[in-house]
Parts: sequence; C-alpha cells; structure tokens
Amino acid sequence: MDPSLLADPAILSELIFQGLVRGAMYALMGIGLSLIFGILGVVNFAHGEFFMLGTYAMYYVSAVLGLPFLAGIAAAAMMLFVVGVLIERGLIEPLRKRAGRDWLLDSFVLTIGLMVILQNLALLGFGSRRRGITTMIEGSLTFGDVVITYERLAILALAVVIVGLLAAYIKLTDTGKAIRATAQHPEAAQTLGIDINRIYTIAFGIGAALAGAAGALLISIFPAFPNVGYQPVLKSFAVVILGGLGNIPGAIAGGFVLGIVEAYAIFFMSAGWQSVITPLIIVLVLIFRPQGLFSAQGERP
Amino acid sequence: MSAAVAAAEVMSSRPLRVLKVAVLLGLLVGVPPLVDSPYITTVFIAALMFGLFGAIYDLMIGYAGLTNFGYAGFIAAGAYGSALASFHYGISPWLGLLIGGLCGGLMGFLTGVITLRLRGLYLGLTTWFVAEALRFTIANTPDYTRGVLGLAVDPFPDLLGIDFSRGNLLTHYYLLVALGALIMLAMWLLVRSKIGLAFRAIREDQLATESLGLNATKYKLINFTVACFLTGVLGSFYAHYLGILSPTPEEFGVPRTVEILTVCYVGGRGTLFGSLFAGFLLIGFQEYFRELEAWRLVMYGALLILVMLFAPKGLAGLKKYVW
Repeated sequence: MDPSLLADPAILSELIFQGLVRGAMYALMGIGLSLIFGILGVVNFAHGEFFMLGTYAMYYVSAVLGLPFLAGIAAAAMMLFVVGVLIERGLIEPLRKRAGRDWLLDSFVLTIGLMVILQNLALLGFGSRRRGITTMIEGSLTFGDVVITYERLAILALAVVIVGLLAAYIKLTDTGKAIRATAQHPEAAQTLGIDINRIYTIAFGIGAALAGAAGALLISIFPAFPNVGYQPVLKSFAVVILGGLGNIPGAIAGGFVLGIVEAYAIFFMSAGWQSVITPLIIVLVLIFRPQGLFSAQGERP
Repeated sequence: MSAAVAAAEVMSSRPLRVLKVAVLLGLLVGVPPLVDSPYITTVFIAALMFGLFGAIYDLMIGYAGLTNFGYAGFIAAGAYGSALASFHYGISPWLGLLIGGLCGGLMGFLTGVITLRLRGLYLGLTTWFVAEALRFTIANTPDYTRGVLGLAVDPFPDLLGIDFSRGNLLTHYYLLVALGALIMLAMWLLVRSKIGLAFRAIREDQLATESLGLNATKYKLINFTVACFLTGVLGSFYAHYLGILSPTPEEFGVPRTVEILTVCYVGGRGTLFGSLFAGFLLIGFQEYFRELEAWRLVMYGALLILVMLFAPKGLAGLKKYVW
C-alpha cells in the first residue's frame, strides 16, 4: 500500500464520491431512526428489515414488472409507510398503553422480536437467493481521471430530493408542525389539541418509508436477500450515535461523515476490516463526545 | 376464602416448597443417567446452558435494567480466550475457565466504563458494536484464531481420575451442573446483598437513588462486570465442550443473543431462576419440533412480542399458581 495514493486527486475525489453515495443511504436510514426515536422514544431494531422489504419491493416492481425505477422507489416507500403504520397501530401502540416506565427497554425488545420475525419470514418466503438489479442507468461522466457513473449520481440526487421533500413536509405542513411540537413536548402538544397518537403513527410510517426508499435506491449495491438489512442498520445506528440520538440534521451529517470514512477504509484496508473500523469510531466518539459530534455542547446524553 | 386462594396457599406452604425444590433438583441430576441416552444428555446440556445464560442476562436486565445486545460477543470472548490460551500456550482448560471469565469480565468492564454513565440504550448499542467488532476481528485473523475455518479446541483433561474425554457426555453434564450451581449461588447471594438492593433501587428510580448518595454508575459497573465474568466462564465451558469454534452469527452474533434474550424474557425478568425453566422449555420445544428451521427464530421473535404485550412477567407470572 503506497501512502502517496492518499493524496492522489483522482483517487481522492473518487473515494469522496463513493463515500457520498454510501453516506446518502446512511443518512436516509439514520433520519428514519432518529425520527422514530425522537418522536416515539423507540430504538427501532427492525429498521434494517424495512430496508430489506424496500429492496424486495424495488426488485419486484422494476425487474419483474418492468416498471421504471422511480415507480419502484415510490412503491417501496408507500409499501413501507403502510407496513410502518400497521406495526405502530398493531404492536407499538398496545405496548405504549402497557409499558409505562419501562418503555425504552420494552419497545427495544419488541422491535428485536419484529426484526427476527421479518427476517425469517423473508427467508421462508423468498429463499436466500440474492435478487438484484445490476445497473439501473447506463453511462458515466468523466472529469479528467475521475469517473462518476450516472447511476451513483442519480442515487445521490434522489436521496437529496427525498431529504428535501421531508424537510419541506416537516417545516411547512400542519402535520409537520404537529410532529415538531410532539417531539418537543408531547403533553403540551396534546393540550393544544394535537392528536399525538396519530402523530406517533405517522412518524413511524415516515421512518419506515425512508428505510424502504433507501433499500429501493441502493438495490444495485445491496441486492435483495433476507439479511441485507443487517449492515445498513448497524451502520445507521452508528450514524445516529455520531450525530447525536434523535438529532435529525446530525444524522444527515453523521451519515456523510461515516460514508466517506468507510470509503477510505475499504480502499486502504482489506474489506473485512471495515466492519471493525466503524465500531472503533463509535467507541472513540462515546468516550470523547458522547452527545454526538453535531449536538450542542453540554447536553447530557 | 375461595378455593383458588386456599389451593395457592397450600401450594406455597414451606414443606411443599422444599419438596418441589427437591423434586426439581432430583430431575436435574437424575434424568440424564437414568434415561442414559446421549441425545437426552446433549439436550439437557444445551437447555441448562441456555437457562444459565438467560439467568446471567437477567442479572443485568432484570436487576439493574442494563441491556446487552452484544451478549453473544461476551460468550465469544470467554470461549476464544480460553480456547486460544490452550491452543497457543498449552494452558490447561481448567485454568481456562478462569481465563475465559477474565476475558469476558474485562470486555464488560471496559464497555461499561465507556457507556454506563450515559443513558441505558447507549450500553445496548455499544455492546452490540463491540461484539460485532470482536467477531469480525476473529474472522479477519485466521493466522491466530483460524477465523471462519474453525478453531479446534482441546477437551478438558482428566481431573481427579474422572474422564472428561469428549465422548463422555455425562461428566460434562455434571460439570455444567456444578458450574451452574456455583453461578446461581453467586448471583443469588449478590442480589440478596446490600449491593443487590442498590441494583434494584437504581432500576426503580436512578435519580432518587443518586440523591441518596449512591453512586449509580459504580453499582451498574459492578453488576455488568460480574455478569460478563460469569458469561465468560460459561463461554469457556462451551468452547471445551463443543470442541470447535467459528465466528458465525448463529454461534456468536445477533441470532444467539436473541435466543438468550428470549429465554430471559420468557422466564421472567428479575427472577434469576425463571430463565432456567425457560431454557428447558424452549430448548425442549425446539428439539421436539426438529423440522422448524427458520420457523424456530420466527417463534422466538413472536414469543418476545407476546411476552412484551401480554405477559411482561413471563413464566414467573405463573408462579403464584404452582409455587
């Protein structure tokens, strides 16, 4: 390994771009996790399985039915929104009525159960075969030595569009305002006439839809198979800790930081070690800046 | 007084309780040699091992509210610590039980120091990351650990003239019963001591406990380190009993943690002994329905959700009818 490669501008920009694409996925997943944690107080372990269901939706809509990719992404997001709403109403709301003080731990364990069920039902239903789409869009851009495929460019652009739409929704619509109010102070929001149970359901649905969209968007990198959600969810929890738990802008920044760091790690080390680097970074962050890299100093995590 | 209450009172009377404990211990010690089938003995070893892991898990979550989502990694630390010590340095597996415990305990102590001052879920998430980092490190260092090729582990050498060669399942079973008795006794004494009282006070209300001058982080760290030490000891037994280790997810990853978590929750949190019953129940069930395969984990997941929604006390909720 030649250290001078580190400074090579072509490699540098290529890795940064790769990192941005990875980061887009982590950010989408991380925003969903943060939203669900920030509003409902649920640490959602089944988030990777929402990603997995998104990849299957994309595969069946695009590769099997032959519809355009945008239709696949929209289908994945809508399907996961419905799945999220059903799970929130069917399982999480009843638990909220019962759990009380133990909410954090109990809801965590509930989503672990959900994760195992979804993963193994997928295994029973679809088998372990990987179903992918190798290329969504042909062609690439060339700047000197740097080659950027249209496909990765499209992934990045679509991720930015999705985040932008979400930000507009939360900033501008009445429901968005209600979501922000509930995140700040649920009791006060309720006193002001906000139906917080409805907000919980919508927030969980949106979080799941974001994970589904991430899965659909990245199908050329992560083909559909029952365990595909594992690495994405592990990484997105890392992103959420990097950004500060429940901090959505932090999750976006954390996503891109981790994506770029990993792109470097993969290039300069053998592939297996990247799974060691991420936990190491997290441990360092927890030691020195437990409130997350992007949260205000002094907040007690 | 209704008949049910009267029956419950008879069931919980002291002589009857002693009788029940005696019968259960008799079954635990007597069934494998009487049935004398290698298959039944293997199932008993697996059930008791899962029950004990569940009980240790309960010490953390049921008594101090500490989540460990990387639990299987702590088993791996004990198992590989002891196995590598005997593989590379010829250290006796008997001493390995202690080495395994120290490896698990050290990993627990360090993880605890970093995360226990933070909110509860940081511990759950960090243990998960640390456990996965350990598993991938093992997979990535085949020169030292043989990685996914699998590490062959020496069996326990003969002790006091007792034969511990691998085929001798009954001696392994009784070794596990003895280890288990020590582990349960240690945990039982711990939770009944003043330290145990502090655990429960922290679990009930950390703020109130701290305002009384107790250092909550210190007690959590004691709890977590002791639990991880005991996990490492059992992990070491597991390694020398099984004879081969490989860093697969089924063996040392999330699926294993979920199995143990389910044993603990089904047994009932905050009971220690409930997990032992759950271990036998779940392992027995899954042995009886061998063809379950992926449905087995679906069942574990469904059990977790059902316990969470409808029976938060787990099997311990039945205690008042039968104990």
